Amino acid sequence: MDIPGEGAHSAPAPEYSEDGVDLSLIRWMLSLTPAERLDILDQHREDILAIRELNASG
Amino acid sequence: MPAGKARQLLTALTGAGVDFVLVGGVAAVLNGAPINTFDVDIVHAPDPENLNRLLPVLKDLEAVFRVQPERRLQPDMTHLTGPRHLNLVTRLGPLDLLGPVGPNLAYADLLQQSRLLNLGDGLTLRVLELDALIQLKEEAGSAKNAAILPILRQTLKEQRKTR
Repeated sequence: MDIPGEGAHSAPAPEYSEDGVDLSLIRWMLSLTPAERLDILDQHREDILAIRELNASG
Repeated sequence: MPAGKARQLLTALTGAGVDFVLVGGVAAVLNGAPINTFDVDIVHAPDPENLNRLLPVLKDLEAVFRVQPERRLQPDMTHLTGPRHLNLVTRLGPLDLLGPVGPNLAYADLLQQSRLLNLGDGLTLRVLELDALIQLKEEAGSAKNAAILPILRQTLKEQRKTR
């Protein structure tokens, strides 16, 4: 009997450090160039500020 | 895609020939840490020539002190020569000019713990190494730093595996 989640097409288990840090996110960031990391940070900053502005209640 | 504001801010500083070491959250991100931050933190060289290059950039960026921004108080040369941190806001976002950090580490000390990073489009700047950044945040000891330290430490571990 197949165990749900254990089949050949199941998603790999998330990898966290003992203190709960998402290691896959770190590895993904390290796979980028410093220029790409700066661009992502800039994009996130601007997206968050835009959302804050949209939701500003005045 | 137009350049983001942090990139534009850093390009304005390097374009004017300002000598500085990038520290803080943006330095952590450039070192590969998956964190978010809103301010650009730098420690600048304190020599008069460098301050003469820095001040016009601050004017061009419309920098004012972030505390009581409604007063539109602009930093001047006396502020730049003092030892205090200057928390500013510019038209390209927050910019913190830090005095000595950690155990009285100034620009000359941080130089030895930094490396030049090429960020493309003509932007090359000096960024504090991740291990030095972790040490500074451990010594600073704030709740904000405590929250991101586990991410920085894990990033350093992973970085060492790949180097």
